[in-house]
Parts: sequence; structure tokens; C-alpha cells
Amino acid sequence: MKQKLNMKVNPLPVRTWNWLGMNETTLEQAVMTEGDIKIDIPETIVQVEDFDNDFDSVSTGMGSDMNKLIYLSNIETQVFQTLKEKKEKKALKLHFYYENKAQDLNIIGLDLKENSEMIVIMDYTSSKKGQGTIGIQTKIRAEKNAKLCLVQIQCLGDGFCCMNDIGAICQEGAEIQVIDLILGGKSTYVGCKTKLEGDRSILKAEIGYLIDHQNCLDMNYVALHEGKNTVSEIHASGVLRDQAFKLFRGTIDFQRGCAGAQGEESEDVLLLDDTVINQTIPLILCAEEDVQGNHGATIGKLDEELLFYLESRGICQKEIYEMMAKARIDTICRKIPDEEAQIQVKNYMEGRSSDE
Amino acid sequence: MREKTYVEDINRSIYDIRNDEKDAYRVKEGLTAEIVEQISHEKKDPAWMELFRLHSLQIYQEMKLPDWGPPIDELNMDEIVTYVRPNTRMSAKWSDVPKEIKDTFELLGIPQAERKSLAGVGAQFDSELVYHNVRQEVAAQGVVYTDMESALKGDYADMVRKHFMKLVTPRDHKFAALHGAVWSGGSFVYVPSGVSVTIPLQSYFRFNAPGAGQFEHTLIIVDEDANLHFIEGCSAPKYNIANLHAGCVELYVRKNAKLRYSTIENWSKNMYNLNTKRAKVEKGGTIEWVSGSFGSHVSYLYPMSILNGEGAKAEFTSITFAGKGQNLDTGTKIVHNAPKTSSYVNTKSISKDGGISTFRSSILVTNQARQSKSAVSCQSLMLDDRSRSDTIPAMDIRTQDADIGHEAKIGRISDEAVFYLMSRGITEEDARAMIVSGFADNVSKELPLEYAVEMNHLIRLEMKGSIG
Repeated sequence: MKQKLNMKVNPLPVRTWNWLGMNETTLEQAVMTEGDIKIDIPETIVQVEDFDNDFDSVSTGMGSDMNKLIYLSNIETQVFQTLKEKKEKKALKLHFYYENKAQDLNIIGLDLKENSEMIVIMDYTSSKKGQGTIGIQTKIRAEKNAKLCLVQIQCLGDGFCCMNDIGAICQEGAEIQVIDLILGGKSTYVGCKTKLEGDRSILKAEIGYLIDHQNCLDMNYVALHEGKNTVSEIHASGVLRDQAFKLFRGTIDFQRGCAGAQGEESEDVLLLDDTVINQTIPLILCAEEDVQGNHGATIGKLDEELLFYLESRGICQKEIYEMMAKARIDTICRKIPDEEAQIQVKNYMEGRSSDE
Repeated sequence: MREKTYVEDINRSIYDIRNDEKDAYRVKEGLTAEIVEQISHEKKDPAWMELFRLHSLQIYQEMKLPDWGPPIDELNMDEIVTYVRPNTRMSAKWSDVPKEIKDTFELLGIPQAERKSLAGVGAQFDSELVYHNVRQEVAAQGVVYTDMESALKGDYADMVRKHFMKLVTPRDHKFAALHGAVWSGGSFVYVPSGVSVTIPLQSYFRFNAPGAGQFEHTLIIVDEDANLHFIEGCSAPKYNIANLHAGCVELYVRKNAKLRYSTIENWSKNMYNLNTKRAKVEKGGTIEWVSGSFGSHVSYLYPMSILNGEGAKAEFTSITFAGKGQNLDTGTKIVHNAPKTSSYVNTKSISKDGGISTFRSSILVTNQARQSKSAVSCQSLMLDDRSRSDTIPAMDIRTQDADIGHEAKIGRISDEAVFYLMSRGITEEDARAMIVSGFADNVSKELPLEYAVEMNHLIRLEMKGSIG
């Protein structure tokens, strides 16, 4: 029998009232095996066998229990490296496909050398009727002025549990853009922690989700500002319907010394049923005087004026809500710098609509 | 080099007056069943209350300290005296109050405020009230304003028993259980249906004994269509050992009633202020919290509003000023549990000289609360890079038909705003002072005049500095 681990994942950087149930999430998970990846690699990106860069210092959003699971599962890191000064416009594509009863775990290391650029598109798909648990941990080191666009598209079947864990360290002037689309799966846990270590480093995170039936989404995004004039933007937008559950944790953490830093986070959630549960906890932690931090959240129904306008054009309320739900995903989808991936998302969305 | 903006600490000279310890009775330090029984016998509790105290003690012993919030490990209950009775009986005349105690309240401005602008006053010194009075015309309207001990035994005994620690139960948290075990003092207010008390009632809690705890209980019932403004003030001199305040406030706002509860908390900086406040609001009722937190070494303070009837409303307006050695964790909790309820939260905080200010909140909208609205706004001002300011707002929304908005901002005094004011001929010192005063003004204007004056007295925002 496989060893089981009682995990606490997605810990809030600062605890609050336990009765809210937002401090962390408890999971029981058996050790996993390494999954297969179909890799489509551009010429200037190198897959490194003997990698000497230490990714252990990169902490991730899901927290230390994820590392325990990886240790017990004895999974190797697959590292992809850019060449110094090389700006690759073609995406590195990592396709993860999961069969019924999958218990697969993969660790990806992305090592961006100075002044290089990389686009990485990771998509997770599965058999429609099957079930299983999958885990992906992505660790990133971005050297001076390096630029990464990381796109993750989760289109799993309704029987799958997904653990998606990201950790990054940005050196001076480095920029990481994360686009996360969560469109399927029974339960999805996403953690993303970015340490903006170097001056002027940037994190931009765009999250789009569509959660329905009795499915759940549990997120933990953290931007740790250490360098001066660092910038973080975390924007989440999504739709909940049926008995869906969603918890969004978003933290902007201004450490002492990060003078001139700016952080902004926002969430816009559309709720389509009275049976959904929508939890949001956007933190700003501040130990530096010279910073600007903002967060905002809009939760609930559509704006009355917008609703009135569309109804006056002959569209019924149900159609309006469907349209607005789709528009939220489309807006983020358009930001994916790869046409093939955009089509994949659109096809999946159309498939969902025809199923309903 | 630019000189830092300097914001002076709160001037505490009046609040730091220490009276000699001439108490008539005090229990031993620590917390045991014997001590709880002693307090109960000393206060001549009814039998049910003694049992309630002992049951609360049991819960206290079972419960753990919170694993969130500011550290309170240095608070040693074995060193805290939970009951200190001053050497006087409660009176309705200031002339009967011992001179030394009366002089302290005079300096705090309580009798003067009573003469000028209050409908009634309760003044507590350590564990017991020393003065309690209500204006004749207000009493004639049927308004009951008395100390909790009298209420527990008098005509309203059944009403007190029905409501006492039913809103905040001893199982709520460890310090609610502690309160249940050793509570003493506080006020009971009942405003009958349709009565509007046009001028405020005020209770003032003064703490004098070093190493002691104050656990007053405030129970207010505002009946249907009635209206009340209640003011609470608190202060203590500073000692080198920890003092503890674990009061409890329970507010019942009936159908279409309105209650404004204003607090200026100015405990000394050796105080652990672990206070619990909660209001239950019925159909069409309104609760308004106005809160200024200036004192204490550590504060845990989150007034909670339960909007339990259709159209019930809550407003929460607060300012927190955390200076050197202070870790003030404040905020609010709001539960929308009925249709068309609404809440508005507007908070400000200032951190300086190593002070830590945390805004913590929760907005819960149940699936009963269709067509409800909530707007939360919190703004924090950091005056130096040795201080800390955290914002931890939680929202839990369980209906589609709700309109929930939240915004938070954190930052420092804007150079652009200073420049703009300077371009209008104002000196930089004055410009910075104006900006900081303006930041706090949103809240001070919600306070009654006397308290706004006290607040201005509390925050001496003396600014100096120039870009050199």
C-alpha cells in the first residue's frame, strides 16, 4: 500500500480566524509516480540533464508539504534553460495527458539566463470520464532582465484532482507573466509564490476560472517584494455556478527595503447560483513606508445598467450571464501568445457549452 | 538629505495619573475555581450566575490561545488579579465619590461632559462602578441605565438572564470564557419601544490597579423603533507590568431601532486589550460603530454585527493609531443573514515609530441574504519604515444576488499632494500636518463633538521637516 501524507497546502502568509477556514487547506495524498510529458521544444531552449542550479531555494505557493510529497515520491526535476541574451519567440510546449486512475507528478524547472526570453505553455488534459490525481510543480529562476511568459491551461475531466504549484525568484529587471486558466477538474489547488528579489523585477498574474457542478478551486498567490521599485499585479476573474466552491488567497507582501514598490491585486467574480460558495482573502502586508499597495474586489451579480442595456437589445438574462461568463475567459485567452493554445481553449469552452 | 516627517506620540499626561492603591478588596493573583467563587460571593451573585462563572472557567481552561494575531505569550494569567474593588460604594452623586477618584474623573472631563451633553453617566474604577446616574427626564421615558450588578438582581433580572452572554457565548474564544468567569462592573441599558434618547449615555472605564484585569460587561437592548447613542471611554495609567482588559459588549437592536456605539479606547501601553463586542440587528434596524483605538500594548478588537432581519444595516467607522511598542489588531466582522441587508465599513490606520497596525475583517453573506450590499474601504498610512501595517480582509459570499465591493490602499504621505499644497503657499510642515489630519478627519467627524475634541487632544500631530 502506498504511503499517505496529510498535507496542509496553500498556507496564508499571515493567519487569521480559524473559523473562516481560509488559513490553509488540508489534503490527504498518497505518494505519486512520475508522469509522461509530450514536449515541443524550440531550438534555442535547452533541456538540461545534469542541472547544477539549485531550485531548492525557490519556495512555492502551495507550501512546504508539496516538497514533502515530491521527496517521498522521488520525482526528478526536468529543467529547461534559455541561452543568455536569446529571446525565443516560439513557445516551449509541455502537454500533459492523464488516463483514468492517473497518480502522476512532474517537476519542471525553468532557468532563464540573463537578458533571455521564453514562452512556456503547459496544458493539462485527461480522459473525460476518468478520475485521478495529478500534480505539477514549476520552479523558476529568472536572471537579470530575463522575461518569461508562463501559460497554464487546465482542461481536466470532472473526476480529476489537480495540484498546480509554482515558485519563482526574479533577479534585477526580470519579468514573469503568469496566465492561469482553470476550466475543468473536480478539485484544483493552485499555489504561486514569486520572490521579486532584484530591483525593478515584475510579476504579472492573470487568472481566469470557470467552476461548476460540485467542483472546487483553491488558490494562493503571493508576491514577495524585496527589491526596490518592484511591481506586482495579480488579477483574478471568474465565474461560479451550481454548487461550486472557490477560495482565492492573494497576498502582496512589501518587505522592508523595497522602496518604490507597487502592488495591485483585484478579483472580479460572477456568481450564477445561490448555492455557490465564494471566498476571497486579499492581503496586503507592509513593512516599508515608500510603497503603493491596492486591492479591490467586486463580487456578485452583473451591473444593473449593463444588464438593462443588454436586455433592451433583446437578450434574455440567462443568455447575458452566459455571454459575460464566456467573455471573462475570452479576455484572458486573448493574452495567450500562441494561436494554437487559444484555439484549444475555445474548443474546450465550446465542448463544455454543448455538454450543458 | 530629507528629514523625516515627525508625528508626535499621543500626549498621555492626563491619562497617566496614578491613584494610590486604596482598594477595599482584591482577590489573589491567578485564576482558580476558588477565586471565581470568591468573586461570585463578594458580588452576591444569584446562584445561576455562580454556576455560569464556574462553567465559563472550565471552558477557559479547555480552550487554546489563538494561533493568529499579535503575540500574547507574555500575558501570564497567574500574575493577573481579576477582581479589585475600590474603597467606595456606587453612588448617584459625585460628592459621594472619594475625592481622589473624583479628581481623576474630573481631569478626564467626565462630570463636566455629564453636565453639558450627556443623558447619563456610569464611571467604573477598576472592577466596580463608583458613580452611576441618569437624567430624570430620560428615566421618566422608561429608559433603564444602571450598573450590571443592580440589573442582575432588580426588576430586569429576567431580561438580563435571558440575554447575558447569549450573543457572545463563553465558547466564542478563550478570553470570552475568561470574561464569563470573572466579569465585574459594566452597564445595562434598556430603551423601551418608540423612545428616542436624544442625547448620549456614556460609560467610562478607568483602570488604576497595576497587574490587574478589568472585565466589565455592557448589555444594551434598544427596543422596537427606539434610538440610542451610547459612548464608551477607557483609559489607564502606565505600569511596568501587564494589565489585562477583557470586556464584553452585547447589543440587541430590535425592529426599526437604531443604536450608535462610539468608543475611544486609550488604554496605557502595558495593556492587553482583548475585548469582544457584538450586535444583533433585527428587521429595519441599524447599528453604527464608531471606534478610535489609540492605546494598549496589544489589542484584539473586532466589533461584530449580525444583520438578522430584512433591511438591517451596519456601519463601521474606525481609526487606529499604532505607535512605539504597540501591536494593534483591529477590524470588524459582519454577517448578512437576511435579505436586503447592507453594511458599510470605512477604516483608517496610522503606523509610526515601530508600531504595528493590522486591519482584520470578515464579511459573510449567507444564502438568506439576497439583494444585500456591502462596501469595505480600508486605508493605511505608514509614517516610517520601522513600522508595519497589514490588511487581512476576508469575504465569504453564498448568494448570487449580492453586491459586494472591497478596496484597500496602503501608502505614505504623497509627495505630489505636499507639492500641490506648497505651490499654494503653504509650508511643507503645514502641508504634511494637513494631510495627516485630513486622513484622520473622516473618522473624527463621525464622533460626537466632545469625543472629537478628545481625539484631537489624543493625537497631537505635530509635524516638522523639510526637503533639504
